[in-house]
Order: sequence, then structure tokens, then C-alpha cells
Amino acid sequence: MTTLHLGQYVPGYSPVHRLDPRVKILSVLLLSIVILNAGAVESLVVTTFLLAAVSLSGLSAGRIAAALKPLAWFFAILFCLHFFFTDGHPIFSALPAVTYEGLDRGVTVTWQFVALVVSAAVLTMTTAPSELVGGSEKLLRPFNRFGLPSHDIAIMVSIALRFVPVLLEEVERMKEAQVARGADFASGGLVRRLKKMASLVIPLILGTFRRADELALAMEGRGYHRGPRTYLRELKFTRVDYAALFAVVAFLIGVEAIRFLPL
Amino acid sequence: MIQAVEIIYRYDSKEAPVLEHASLEIPEGQYVAIIGPNGCGKTTLVKHFNALLVPQEGEVFVDGLSTKDPKAHREIRRRVGMVFQNPDNQIVGMTVEEDVAFGPGNLGLAPAEIRGRVGVALETVGMLRFAKRVPHSLSGGEKRLVAIAGVLAMKPAYVVLDEPTSYLDPAGRERVLNVLGDLKQEGISVIHVTHNMDEIVDADRVVVMSGGRILRDGAPRDVFREADVLRAVGLSTPQVTELMWRLRAQGCGVRQDVLSVEEAFLEISALIGTGTGGGR
Repeated sequence: MTTLHLGQYVPGYSPVHRLDPRVKILSVLLLSIVILNAGAVESLVVTTFLLAAVSLSGLSAGRIAAALKPLAWFFAILFCLHFFFTDGHPIFSALPAVTYEGLDRGVTVTWQFVALVVSAAVLTMTTAPSELVGGSEKLLRPFNRFGLPSHDIAIMVSIALRFVPVLLEEVERMKEAQVARGADFASGGLVRRLKKMASLVIPLILGTFRRADELALAMEGRGYHRGPRTYLRELKFTRVDYAALFAVVAFLIGVEAIRFLPL
Repeated sequence: MIQAVEIIYRYDSKEAPVLEHASLEIPEGQYVAIIGPNGCGKTTLVKHFNALLVPQEGEVFVDGLSTKDPKAHREIRRRVGMVFQNPDNQIVGMTVEEDVAFGPGNLGLAPAEIRGRVGVALETVGMLRFAKRVPHSLSGGEKRLVAIAGVLAMKPAYVVLDEPTSYLDPAGRERVLNVLGDLKQEGISVIHVTHNMDEIVDADRVVVMSGGRILRDGAPRDVFREADVLRAVGLSTPQVTELMWRLRAQGCGVRQDVLSVEEAFLEISALIGTGTGGGR
């Protein structure tokens, strides 16, 4: 139950924690565009910005590293692919595969992915899941008129998040019940183990349908209906939120403008 | 008042009805226990009270509103709160306070009003300090209390609870039962479906169901006096009532309508003190 998930929320009261979730979501979206467009100079500026955001959020370097760690292999492979398979001018005449262009591409692409992961991690670590859902819902609300049921989507997402631990616990319970009757999930090769897992999947699916049925009944009993409803916390931009959003947007436009400077 | 008039309900048209001509009236502010063996139709009956089920024959009225009218369902469900057996399958919110806010949010109330109601509801069940917690981190009893708070936030006149103490340890059971007592004090009707006879001696009224019919309906004392009727449908009586029954079977002159340990104590000390009867 205490396993730390990738980018799990870290409760706190830092300036970044207190920002409206919509400011953070929009900033991460815009930042992603800038990151994917970034050249050498831009990437240095954006790195500085990310470091500043991390230190403002009060997250320790260890937490950020923990978010990056599961992806370390992916980063390494990404780097190697670009490093060894880009045509250009060889660094060493003896090794024609290793080029200056390859080094440049490898570093840039790997940096881009690291930067994307770090910015997403700052968002999810400083924003409670319910705020993330609430913020996204409110950002999507203008699309209601085009038939997008933002309220229903928000309920769906929050129920899904709510039931992840419940279902994990159920799998664990079923596994124990089967192990107690002599099932063996620990030994055998990958294929055999996957086959054994099938004996958990079917009861899990059936159980989930039964749960969904009861949940639907309970929601109906509590007056749920499609369409608009109200929330405990109605998100409201404060002056700080406006200032922060303005600052981020201005900064990112500035970064994009660098490429037009005569450097 | 909730009125069920001669209701008949079958889940499957080919099978025998689960409810057969069940009629019942529950005035506001009453604590009613509904007991009966498994499959007797208790859950089916109470699902009619907030229009989750609509009878195929007969009619159910909540404060004069018929459950046959779909337009009245929202108001009926606001008045009659329903707490199901498994709290895991009725907690919707990602945190305790958000879950309690779900019902008021569905009513379209303003955030300030929702906040107030969430605070009061959590306070009533003694869970205010868990407001920010994740439901998954709570014990079974605590989840049950959150589910009750979720219903209370709708300000219902009636609260229906389907076996609210199942799977709870004695401490959790105690907490839930205390909360139910508090609700009655506040003038809310409590409709408590249960198997456990010892839980209902404090009820104003006990309704015994069997085979989709209402077998007995009266004060606990009167219902438990007829222990043989209860036993015939597979129900037991509270432990002290059972004790009195056995003493009488041994020829002791004790009252049979005893409901509490104190009463039993008085009966037995009177018996020993006067030396009458054949007590060993």
C-alpha cells in the first residue's frame, strides 16, 4: 500500500503546490511544445527554468531522480541510437559511425525526454489527483458546447483512480486464496507465469462488473445524473495565479524568440 | 412518512416474487429494524424506499411522492438516503471530503454550502479529522462511517442502512451503532436492516420478514416474546431473551419479554431471592 508510484503526489505548501492546477497544466503543455522545439541555447534556458521550478516546489532532488530512474534504460537506448546512427562528420577517423552530429542529436533528444518527464513529475508531485481532475475538467468545460461531456469524463477518471488500489488489493486477495489451495505463481518461465495469471484475470473482470453495478446503484441513490454538477472546491484564479500564468507564457515566448536573435 | 402499499416485486418474471403483498408504514423519526433470514426480501424491500426499485404491483410513497413518477426520483432520493452493504462499492470520491461532497454536488449546491454540509456530516459520524484522507487508507468501520456521512450531507429525513455492521470488529460495530442512535436523536428515521438480534433491542419497532412477506411488526419486546415464531423462520432471539426462554423451559417463573442484561439480572435475582421455581 505504501509503494511509491511514478510521480505520486507529495503533499506540501510550496508556492508551486498552491498554484491553481490549471496554471500548472497549461504551463506543462506549453513547456512541452517549447522543449520539443528547443535547440542548444533554448535547452539551457529551459533547464534553468525547470531547476528553478523544482527548487520552488520544495521537492528534493532524490524525489525527481526517483521519478526518472525507471526510465533510465529508455534514456540510454535513446541516446545510443542517435549517437551511433546519425550520419555526419566522424569524431574519430577510426570510428566512422560516431559523428559530431550524432553526439549533438543524442544529447538533444535525450535531454528533451528528461525535461518532459521532469516537468510532468513536478506537475503530478505538487498537484493532488483530485485537483488534477478538477483542473482538467474546468479547462475542458468550454468544449461542452461541442458535445464533450467534461463532467462525466471527470467522474470517470476520478472513479478509475479511486478504484486502482481497491482492485490491486482484490488481485492480491485472490492470489493468496489460490496460493493457499496450492497454486504457484512464483516459479516457471515468463510464459508459464502469464498463463497462470489468467486464472486471476477472469474473476477480476467478473468482480469488477459486479462492483460497477453496485457503484452505479449507489451513485444513483446519491442523486447522480448526467450533466453539470457543483463541487466542493470551485477553482478560482487568484492574482498570484494570473501573475504566474502570465510570467510562464511570457517566458516561453521569450525562449521561442531566441532563435530569431542574431547570435 | 414512507408508505409501501401491497407491493409485489419479482426480479425475473418466470420466478416467484421476492416481495408478495408487502405493506409497511414508517413515520418520520422512528428507528425501525428490519430482520429476516437470507433471501427473505429485506434488501429488495428497502431498495423500494428510495426508488432504486419500483414495484410491479402496489405503490410506494415517500412523503406523498409516488416512486412510480420518475420526475419525483431526485427528490425521493434526497429524502431517503441509502447506505449499502459494501462501503468500498459506494465511495466515489478520491478523498473522504470529496466523497461526502458528491451528493450535495449532485444537488447543484454552492461550494460554500457544500463545505458546510461536509463539515457537519463528518462531525456527526466523528470522521472530521479524516477529511483529507484517501478512502483506501481507512478501516472497514471508518469506510462505513464515511458512507453514512455521504448520505447525511444530503440532509435526508430517512436513512436506510443495509447490514451496516457486517464484517466489522466489535469496536467498529459499536461506533456505527452509536452514530445510528445519534441520528434518531436528531429526528432522522433510521431503517436498519440486520441479521444481528442483539443490535435491535433499542429499536422503536421491529419488522420481521419471511418469504417476501411481513411476518411480524411491533415493539421489540412483543416480537421477541414469540421466540418460537422467530425460530420457525430461522432467526434467533437476543441472548438474554434466549436465556429467559430456556429458564422457563426448565420451569422457572421468569418473564419472557426481557431485552437487556439489567432486566435479566433483576429477574434472576428475584428468582433466587424468593427461592421459587426449579432453578438449579
